[in-house]
Amino acid sequence: MMAARLVLRTLQQQTRCAVPFFAQFQRAKSTAIPSSYIPQTSLSRPPWPELPVLDREEEQKQHRAVVQKVNALIENGEYGRLFAVVHFASRQWKVTNEDLILIENHIEAQCGDRIIMEKVLLVGGEDFTLIGKPLVSCDLVRVEATVIEKTESWPMVHMRFRKRHRFQRKRIIVQPQTVLRINSIEVSPGLI
Amino acid sequence: MVFLTLPCWIRSRGPDRYWKVQELLKNARHFRGRKNRCYKLAVRTVCRAFVYATKARKVKRRSMRTLWISRIAAASREHGLKYPALIHNLVKSSVQLNRRILSDLAITEPRTFQALATLARARQQEGLRAALGDGTEPTAPEQPNPRTLLQLQQNQDLQPEMY
Repeated sequence: MMAARLVLRTLQQQTRCAVPFFAQFQRAKSTAIPSSYIPQTSLSRPPWPELPVLDREEEQKQHRAVVQKVNALIENGEYGRLFAVVHFASRQWKVTNEDLILIENHIEAQCGDRIIMEKVLLVGGEDFTLIGKPLVSCDLVRVEATVIEKTESWPMVHMRFRKRHRFQRKRIIVQPQTVLRINSIEVSPGLI
Repeated sequence: MVFLTLPCWIRSRGPDRYWKVQELLKNARHFRGRKNRCYKLAVRTVCRAFVYATKARKVKRRSMRTLWISRIAAASREHGLKYPALIHNLVKSSVQLNRRILSDLAITEPRTFQALATLARARQQEGLRAALGDGTEPTAPEQPNPRTLLQLQQNQDLQPEMY
C-alpha cells in the first residue's frame, strides 16, 4: 500500500525535494534527521569554493622532498632525452637534441658558428620539469646550437587589387632564412 | 610616317611575349577548367589567387592563435581548470610561456602540462586565501563629515604654502 503510494507520488511530482528521502514519511524507528544537517539553499554556504586546509610546514617539507628527488635524479644522470623551451629571435621554440630550426630572419653569425641560447623558459625530461619564473638560470641549463645554412625563402607574391578602379600592385618578397641545428641540452644539479 | 620600302612596314614587336605569358600561366596550371590554359581567363584568376594568398597570410596568425587557445582550454579542462584561470594564474606566477608552446606541451608533454596546471591551481588557491583573509566581516570605512571637510579646506587656505 505504502509502496504503491510512493510510486504514484514519484510519477506525479518530479519536483526536487530538499528534504531527504527518509523524512518524507515518518516512522517510529530511529531514522531521524541528524542535527548537523543544513538544507542546501543559495545562502546555506558562501559563494566561493571551499579551500583545502593549508599547513605551511607540511607544504615546505613536501617541496624540499621534491627538490631533493629531482637533484638526485639529475646527479645520477637518470634522465633520457631532455627538451627545452627557448626564447630566440622573438619567438619561443620547443627544442630537443638533433633538432632543426628554421628562423625567418638574418642572424649575425657565420655558417658553422656554435651558439649558446641563454633564454631558457622550461627544461623537462620524462620524470621532472624545471619551470622558470620566467627564465631558468644559466648555471642549471646549457643549450648549444650550430648555424647550418643561411638562405632566402621562396619568392612570395604580395598583391593588392581594387575592383573597378584600375588599381593593381604586385611585389615579390624574399625573406632571409637561417637554419640552426640544436646540438645538446645539458642540465647540472644546482637546485636549492 | 613615310615608309618608302616594304621591309620598313614590318614592325618589330616585343620579342618575349611567349615567355611572359608562360610565366603567368605557370601560376595557373593547377586550376580547373579553361582558366589553366587561356591567358585572358587566367590573368583574372591568378590575380585573385595572389590577393587571397596575401590576405590569408595575415588571417593565418589569428586563426592559429584561436586554435591554440581552444586546445589549451580543452587540455586544462581535463585537469579541472578553465582556460582563463590557467592563463591568469600562470601570468601571476611569472611563467611567460606563449599559447603555441602551451598547446604543443599539452599534446606532446602531458606530464609537464599537468605540472603547469597544478602550479596554476596552487596560485589560484593562494589568491583566494589572500582575498578571504581572516574570515571576519569587513568593517565599513568612516564616512567623512561635510563640516569637518569645510574646516580642513579653510585651514589649508589660511596656511601659507611652503616651497
